[in-house]
Amino acid sequence: MLALLALSILLLAACSSDDNGGGGATGEATGGATGSDITVGVSWNNFNEERWAKFDEPAIQQALQDCGGAKYIKADAGSSAEQQLADVENLIAQGANAIIILAQDGEAILPAVQSALDQGIPVVAYDRLIENPGALYVTFDNVEIGRLQAEAILAAVPEGNYVFIKGNSADANADFLRSGQQEVLQDALDSGDVVNVGESYTDNWDPAIAQTNMEQFLTDNNNDVDAVLSENDGMAGGVVAALEAQGLAGSVAVSGQDGDVAGLNRVALGTQYVDVWKDARELGKAAGEAACAMAQGTALGDVANTQQFDSPGGNDMTSIFLTPQAITQDNLNIPLDAGWISQEDLCQGVDPGTVDACG
Amino acid sequence: MAETKVSAAETEPEAQAAPEERGKASLRELFRSAEVDTRLLGMLGALAIIWILFQIFTPNHTFLTPRNMWNLSVQTAVVAIMATGMVLIIVTRNIDLSVGAVMAAVGMAMAIVQHDWLPKWIGFDHPMTWVIAVAVGLVLGAAIGAFQGTIVAYVGVPSFIVTLGGFLVWRGVAWWMASGQTIAPMDTLFRNLGGGSTGTVGGTWSWIIGIAACVGIVLLQFTKRRSRGRYGFRLRPMWAEVGIAVIACAAVLVAVGFLNRYYLPPALATQTGHEGENISLGLAYPVLIAIGVGIVMTFIATRRRFGRSVYAIGGNPEASELAGIKTRRTIVKTFTLMGLLVGLAAAVQIARLNAAVSSLGTGMELNVIAAAVIGGTSFAGGVGTIVGALLGALIMQSLVSGMVLMGIEAPLQDIVVGIVLVLAVTLDTIFRRRAAR
Amino acid sequence: MTDRSGTPLVELRDIRVAFGGVHAVRDVTVDLYPGEVVGLVGGNGAGKTTLIRTLSGAHPADSGQILIDGEPVTISHPRDAKALGVETIYQNLALADNIDAPGNVFLGRELTTRFGNLDDSAMEDATRKLMGRLNPKFQNFVVPVASLSGGQRQSVAIARAVHFNARILIMDEPTAALGPAETKQVGDLIKQLREEGIGIFLISHDIHDVFDLSDRISVMLQGKLVGTVDKNEVTTDEVLAMIILGKRPGEVTQKDLAELH
Repeated sequence: MLALLALSILLLAACSSDDNGGGGATGEATGGATGSDITVGVSWNNFNEERWAKFDEPAIQQALQDCGGAKYIKADAGSSAEQQLADVENLIAQGANAIIILAQDGEAILPAVQSALDQGIPVVAYDRLIENPGALYVTFDNVEIGRLQAEAILAAVPEGNYVFIKGNSADANADFLRSGQQEVLQDALDSGDVVNVGESYTDNWDPAIAQTNMEQFLTDNNNDVDAVLSENDGMAGGVVAALEAQGLAGSVAVSGQDGDVAGLNRVALGTQYVDVWKDARELGKAAGEAACAMAQGTALGDVANTQQFDSPGGNDMTSIFLTPQAITQDNLNIPLDAGWISQEDLCQGVDPGTVDACG
Repeated sequence: MAETKVSAAETEPEAQAAPEERGKASLRELFRSAEVDTRLLGMLGALAIIWILFQIFTPNHTFLTPRNMWNLSVQTAVVAIMATGMVLIIVTRNIDLSVGAVMAAVGMAMAIVQHDWLPKWIGFDHPMTWVIAVAVGLVLGAAIGAFQGTIVAYVGVPSFIVTLGGFLVWRGVAWWMASGQTIAPMDTLFRNLGGGSTGTVGGTWSWIIGIAACVGIVLLQFTKRRSRGRYGFRLRPMWAEVGIAVIACAAVLVAVGFLNRYYLPPALATQTGHEGENISLGLAYPVLIAIGVGIVMTFIATRRRFGRSVYAIGGNPEASELAGIKTRRTIVKTFTLMGLLVGLAAAVQIARLNAAVSSLGTGMELNVIAAAVIGGTSFAGGVGTIVGALLGALIMQSLVSGMVLMGIEAPLQDIVVGIVLVLAVTLDTIFRRRAAR
Repeated sequence: MTDRSGTPLVELRDIRVAFGGVHAVRDVTVDLYPGEVVGLVGGNGAGKTTLIRTLSGAHPADSGQILIDGEPVTISHPRDAKALGVETIYQNLALADNIDAPGNVFLGRELTTRFGNLDDSAMEDATRKLMGRLNPKFQNFVVPVASLSGGQRQSVAIARAVHFNARILIMDEPTAALGPAETKQVGDLIKQLREEGIGIFLISHDIHDVFDLSDRISVMLQGKLVGTVDKNEVTTDEVLAMIILGKRPGEVTQKDLAELH
């Protein structure tokens, strides 16, 4: 019995691929510490989505490496806000000099953030907003993403019936995106050129639920839908499936986000009009660099490339906003050239000669 | 030692009923003499009310249109398929919380097989691709089910724990298989399993199936009547037999007719060179699969020894063991069957979505359990029907789809569904208590 | 009068059963002849249920022998017992409440058609015939047995035992939950079965029922057999003394008898 327990613990330790840095001192980040003395802890909310392991994490690790060989430790909260509170404390206990947090719940994590700041440990809010002015907010501007989505769609469909497929109602990003779209579409909505014929949140950003909702909207409007603002690529997949069942795929403009392989492929095929791509590697790099700098003593106000942002909660957030890019059929070469996607994946099923990037 | 001298009556006491109670009693007797399951009728009534209410309250009155009904039938299929398996599991006083996670893992596997592996060996769009992919899914699902069932039955770990573990493990496995990547698109023939414009049997075949179903219903009644008549048992009154046959047949034919009035969307008709024509779509493959599963499962539950054993174990596990029923083997079989059905449902789901995502089936287990429970399956064990579960799935999906048409927000939808679930079980409990008195 | 000249129908010889350190049954030997009822009596914890479970297959003996028609047999599961013609009616009846009477009668041994499907009509027919013999007033063949009265449930359990050509019947407290009319009914049933040559082990705590129904009485106390007596040769007081004091008739003094009352 005991032997079994010991064996399993050994096995778990062996499987763990983290470099558990134990060297760094807790407490004040002393000025003048060199990179190799620094440990940066990253608290992930959930490793479920493709991008975190594939793009964000390697980018952060690389940035830390470039910052004088700072150590990288991490924790995965498995989508639990409570777990993440413990994770942050844990990382600090393991000697992190700075913490990067991808918040499961931006409000629930506040106590841990405050505690870290009180202990003199700088905090970077990664991709998702945490309403604490003491933390550095590094993100792709979600409102800007919404704007880019709407701009592209509006250019393609200046008049017509629009459907809005939003993400999870509990995710603040869903509302940020929607507000960006609204800014761009406000005039057209006011003048009646664009009509909102259907709008809904989607539990869990679930593509299958997005598909069902889209089917209902098409039924409700007797297929008289001209554009769909889907907030991400996963749901866009569901939307396109619903459109295909009605023979409307390709004639109804659909938006997306994330630069998923399937999403970019749909842009190449013509069933999705625009995919707002955020090079997650840029995000990881910016966050890693900033975290390392702050751990070495740089003050929040002195971090490079920041701007002030008035958060919905009324906080003056010091932020690094990275620019996303709207990818349509014309500029598919951008993610291709950046090494984000292979030509084989991008062009699967595409008729030769129809898309520039596919030759 | 206390001696309980119970004065038992051999026959039911003659009720001194008031006139109105006598009226109610005769309606009950009417149903009893017609040998109709009143609970089933209640559910059908609830469904009818829900449909009518939505028809009235949706802004464009689109609920009872052929198109929406067609969509509804396909949207219900995935949960319906799995709910039939869940009935047997709950009847034996077990539970399976891993259904959604297993769906993701098996779905991923089927997607990888047809998207990555098979094209390398037999090329793209091979006619056998879908067959192999589905076979892989069924075998994998059954294997996972058997594995979990064995731990429950032979090692003795409570099913709640085993399947809770599965809920976590198989989701992680699904992610691990493709590093969280979405796998798309699916094989062309495979996609038909999910419905869509090419995934139906068409107008003519739908009628043929409908008429065959009608004939089947009448034949069923006939054989049952004959087998009982052979022993001289009391038979259903002829008026009831004819009445039921007529109503059931009519319902089937109306449903088929309705589904047949959903035509190929004009854009697709033009694309396939049938501009301006009305081509009936009829029964979608997912619906056909779900109905087929329902029939087979009902048959297994009511006409096979295995089914009898399942209900006996649910009613009294010790008595079943003493009676010589191989209880542990039976329980493993229920989980294996569940796994198989999850594999089938996963095939339909990824075909419909034309993609496999690692988040496939999130929350499905709750929908499936709710469908079974609304359909009359009790956690006390020993009670529950397959048909009820199918109706339960239909009721739940009707609610959700109707609420979307009405523009009701997702969080509010969740509240409504939760309330309906509790209400349904409460009503069930009350009626059961009354009937037992 | 039972013919006890030949080999006994059942013989439980030197049966020993222990649960951990507790000796529930210690070297007990009882036997049963065809067409007789042997009452097995004793206070709580006497070991009578444990003893009989070795015969019914619910709990095999640790040591000792079971002989049926003089031949030694192994009984490790209820299936084995049933195969040898031993049927048990448990105190809680072991009925599946959600299943109807025919389903319970044939539980685990369902009749099937040539396609392997359940033959409900045949099972109902057989059950009707059985009940006609045992309990003619019984009419509720399609309702789950949970809605039946205690006596009706008892008759279903007995019908199940009788149908499968049981030669040896074990009845554990058959009348414990029944009223006087039903107790008489069960009693008549037992007498009827006895006429048919079936041997019955009857466990009961009701001394009057035992006297009424049994031919011989085996008394156990704290796992040991106190003795087996012929009903006609003892009084209830003497049997009580065996149960409570563990003293055989003949060892009992006036003082003992006074203590009992």
